[in-house]
Amino acid sequence: MLRIFRAVPLADKVLFFFMLTASLSGIFVVREALPQAADVIVEVDGRPVRTAPLSVDGTMAFNGDCGEIQVEIKNSRVRVSEAHCPNKLCVQQGWVSRGVIVCLPNNVVVFIGGRGTGTKKGLDAVTG
Amino acid sequence: MLLQDKYRIAVLSAYALVLHGFEAVLPMPVPWLKLGLANIITVVALFLFDFRTAFTVTLIRVILSSMFTGTFLGPSFVLSLGGGAGSTLAAGFFHYSLISISGRPFFGAVGLSLISSFFHNVCQLTLAYFIFIQRIEAILIISPFVLLVGTATGLINGIIADILIRNVRAPLPESDLAGSGNKL
Repeated sequence: MLRIFRAVPLADKVLFFFMLTASLSGIFVVREALPQAADVIVEVDGRPVRTAPLSVDGTMAFNGDCGEIQVEIKNSRVRVSEAHCPNKLCVQQGWVSRGVIVCLPNNVVVFIGGRGTGTKKGLDAVTG
Repeated sequence: MLLQDKYRIAVLSAYALVLHGFEAVLPMPVPWLKLGLANIITVVALFLFDFRTAFTVTLIRVILSSMFTGTFLGPSFVLSLGGGAGSTLAAGFFHYSLISISGRPFFGAVGLSLISSFFHNVCQLTLAYFIFIQRIEAILIISPFVLLVGTATGLINGIIADILIRNVRAPLPESDLAGSGNKL
């Protein structure tokens, strides 16, 4: 066995260990990367105005019906950090990693979804 | 193409077909896991003879084995053909381009077998994405596992091919090998 190992060229060994490391780390990279493929989608007046990846930290500001509303993304979670609506339910809701934050007075909806999703998903059913 | 080249291709194809058939009856823990034993023959053909022999042998093996198992022109035949052709092309490309750069074989049989298994899996995953599962997440999740298994089987096949090449080459004088290469 050792004789075979010695006879194999160095380039082959390097290639083998590279492929081993790449595929092993690939298992973890893919596992880490995929659940974060979600986006933060902000809708103002029912129209999507901004889509941002949940994995990138940052702050965004929007103009709602009650003035400026700030949305903050950090550690794959999202919150409304500042709003000028009367009871600030959206701010009190705090950090959210899935689901939706609605600021009704501002008519702003912040939700987490994959690409291609939206609040307008068509009709549930049509009768008659 | 000389008659002896045709005989050589026929014999190598027969070996590849037997290994392919042997592999099909081996029980495997998961259905997509394959040893790729027939790849040994491709690597040996590439090393001892030339790219044309290796590619022809691979094509014959893929087409005939699919006819024997009744999957000719079916979806699994497309995957098999794509994997076989892609892996042989990649192995041949690396073998000859590195020879022309460095003047001597850069990768041994093990390296070529690893390259071949890698491109076999890449081609099959790409084809599977376009033909069957059009969901990139599913392909991305499975591909590291497939590549890991491919690395392991590629190493085993490469070592077997290496032993085979050494034993076949040993009793032949160098002039004999050089002569057979020129006639193709």
